Amino acid sequence: MFKFKHENLETNAGILLVATMLAISIGGLVEIAPLFMIDSTMEKVDGVRPYTPLEQRGRDIYIREGCYTCHSQMIRPFRDEQLRYGHYSLASESKYDHPFQWGSKRTGPDLARVGGKYSNEWHVQHLIKPTSVVPESVMPNYPWLLTTPLNYADIGDRMRALRITGVPYSANAEEYQRNVAQFGEAVAKTLHIPDAQKNLVAQAQEGNYDGDRTNVTEMDALVAYLQVLGTMVDFRQYKPEDLVKYR
Amino acid sequence: MAATSNPATEQYNFDIVKKFAVMTLVWGVVGMFVGVYIASELAWPFLNFDSPYFSFGRFRPVHTSGVIFGFGGSALFATSYYVVQRTCQTRLFAPGLATFTFWGWQAVIVLAALSYVMGYSQGREYAEMEWPIDLLILFVWVAYMAVFIGTLMKRKQPHIYVANWFYLAFILATALLHVFNNIAIPVGLFTLKSYSLFSGPQDAMTQWWYGHNAVGFFLTAAFLGMMYYFVPKHAGRPVYSYRLSIVHFWALSFMYMWVGTHHLHWTAIPDWTSTLAATFSIMLLLPSWGGMINGIMTLSGAWDKLRTDPVMRFMIVALSFYGMSTFEGPLMSLKDVNALSHYTDWTVGHVHSGALGWVAMISFGSLYHMIPRLWNTQIYSVRLVNLHFWLATIGVLLYITAMWISGIMQGLMWRAFDDFGNLQYSFVESVAAMHPYYAMRAIGGMFFLSGMVLMAYNCAMTIRQGQRAAQAAPAVALASA
Amino acid sequence: MLEWLAQAENAKSLGLVIFFVTFCAIVLWVYGSKKRGERLEQHKNIPFLDDEDESKDKFHG
Repeated sequence: MFKFKHENLETNAGILLVATMLAISIGGLVEIAPLFMIDSTMEKVDGVRPYTPLEQRGRDIYIREGCYTCHSQMIRPFRDEQLRYGHYSLASESKYDHPFQWGSKRTGPDLARVGGKYSNEWHVQHLIKPTSVVPESVMPNYPWLLTTPLNYADIGDRMRALRITGVPYSANAEEYQRNVAQFGEAVAKTLHIPDAQKNLVAQAQEGNYDGDRTNVTEMDALVAYLQVLGTMVDFRQYKPEDLVKYR
Repeated sequence: MAATSNPATEQYNFDIVKKFAVMTLVWGVVGMFVGVYIASELAWPFLNFDSPYFSFGRFRPVHTSGVIFGFGGSALFATSYYVVQRTCQTRLFAPGLATFTFWGWQAVIVLAALSYVMGYSQGREYAEMEWPIDLLILFVWVAYMAVFIGTLMKRKQPHIYVANWFYLAFILATALLHVFNNIAIPVGLFTLKSYSLFSGPQDAMTQWWYGHNAVGFFLTAAFLGMMYYFVPKHAGRPVYSYRLSIVHFWALSFMYMWVGTHHLHWTAIPDWTSTLAATFSIMLLLPSWGGMINGIMTLSGAWDKLRTDPVMRFMIVALSFYGMSTFEGPLMSLKDVNALSHYTDWTVGHVHSGALGWVAMISFGSLYHMIPRLWNTQIYSVRLVNLHFWLATIGVLLYITAMWISGIMQGLMWRAFDDFGNLQYSFVESVAAMHPYYAMRAIGGMFFLSGMVLMAYNCAMTIRQGQRAAQAAPAVALASA
Repeated sequence: MLEWLAQAENAKSLGLVIFFVTFCAIVLWVYGSKKRGERLEQHKNIPFLDDEDESKDKFHG
């Protein structure tokens, strides 16, 4: 019927498989591998620290509710974004973000530097019913955040999992001392896993994020997270030209 | 029975193809319904109903997973099992494993949707499934790979037809992407929650390497495999140039993996990765258009059929949208264009011109060709196919036009300055300005969805017709014997 | 030379060279020989090789 000259590539499934694998691997390797030599891609700035237990739980809620489907956390180096949102985002500002939440869509505004821009009361009001403070908003209401007590029984497990990924939460005295050296004593205390539940409750009561000190709600955690976003680095310390070379 | 059942159904394992074909229709209806619903939520936010389970943020991954992995994935399983058997002229390898891929894959979609609604998500686009579901995907995928490659190995046809190359690249690339993108540390063995191993820029790079190549290999290469079988088969003419399809294949497989970073222009990653991705994105235009031309030239000798055959129309429109969105993509990967288009609805429109215009349309065409052959009958109603074609085409056009306008408008409003050098618009003014276009997009989606529902009905009737004929057949055979 | 290769910024030029060479090789292989071309083009008929079976299907009509 047909006289095929048995050329290897098209008649041998194994060789086709290997060649295809090669073709699809090269690009990924060249693009991604260098980024894992982390030092060359991240600027060194002071102030960036892992999230406190309460903030991390807030971040978990941010991910649970899919906030990233409408809000980015990545300010680009343009004049309009600078005016609207603040200094452009640095790579090191998300170095403890597992996973990253840079987002890809701004149905709502960027949140990379929303911390400190609005009061806690505003956030609570806005999350319960966004149109009550921004009439044109299309954001869903999140009333259950205020009424749902925060489950923080597993905060230790969460921090231990993050510790495995490389976040410097301390599990023992030695690691704690290392954190004291790197972040100072006040921050190091909040990163200590054995005290996580105590620290979480203390921060919620002291910060009074949801306006009710008697219990810790999911609202406390989410607002605590939103209020820390983009506030860790003090940009007065840096000249633009020091940062721009990392872009 | 044996004497009367047709040789094709006996020679090949069509049972598994039938199962996946039916689920393609089911997930198409479900996934597109959720899509229309979340589009409506953006236009009319009361639809969120103050409920965690219906809120946009949790529902959006239900839509993306439902259409990409439910509808698209099932269509690919169905057609790849069909094409590999027919072009290798052999029965499927390991039918038990193939059945496992069916139940496993359906479980993945159902579990994923339930887990999102319950609030479990990895928080990474198109890879929101938590770790136990990821493991299940991995098992299903290994089984799929074994079935597909096993079938290639036992083929009776010496040459491996090019459609299978595309399916193979899709299977391999998806395995690679899935494994590397989902490396995560679970919080505990009895909880779904996990944290990704990578963070910040590394995580972003890995995620968009995955995200873009999911488009490149899942939604493009694999559907090109579909195109290379069903377009020639339905037109009754061989593919225009087989050599062009070989060049198309290698150039596409080689280049796609370089371009993921164009989703991260102007973000906190090194500049060279951006430029590299943009360069390869522009070059990707060549193989993409090579493939499109190959498909359209295949149809070119059968223009007369275009007037009478709506299935053919689905195919030619799919190829046109493929050409259009592979032109738009490189354009948007230019850093200056991206500065405007990124974060806006333009991206959403671009994705849908590819997903609805190309992926869904070529699947519709292929399914309309395949389903009557699987059940050994004719399509129930050609008029309904024609109606579906128009509903789908009008739907896509409404959708992408709305997103072009709203996307470009957003981008321009965000960067507009007044005479004093201040920002001209507050953010929320841009939100308010989007309302008519969000409504228009939802309506476009409704058109597309109603076409999909018609298709499901038409195919259900076709299948019933085929089953009745099969039941009647033994009696006829006995009578004639 | 090795130093130049080790710098990540040069990935673009390197990538382009790798791609260009591979691409040329494939194009040459595919279009280079007329005999090979004819043989390759024959494969496009594979989807139609099992048509015999299908015409028998029509028995049930």
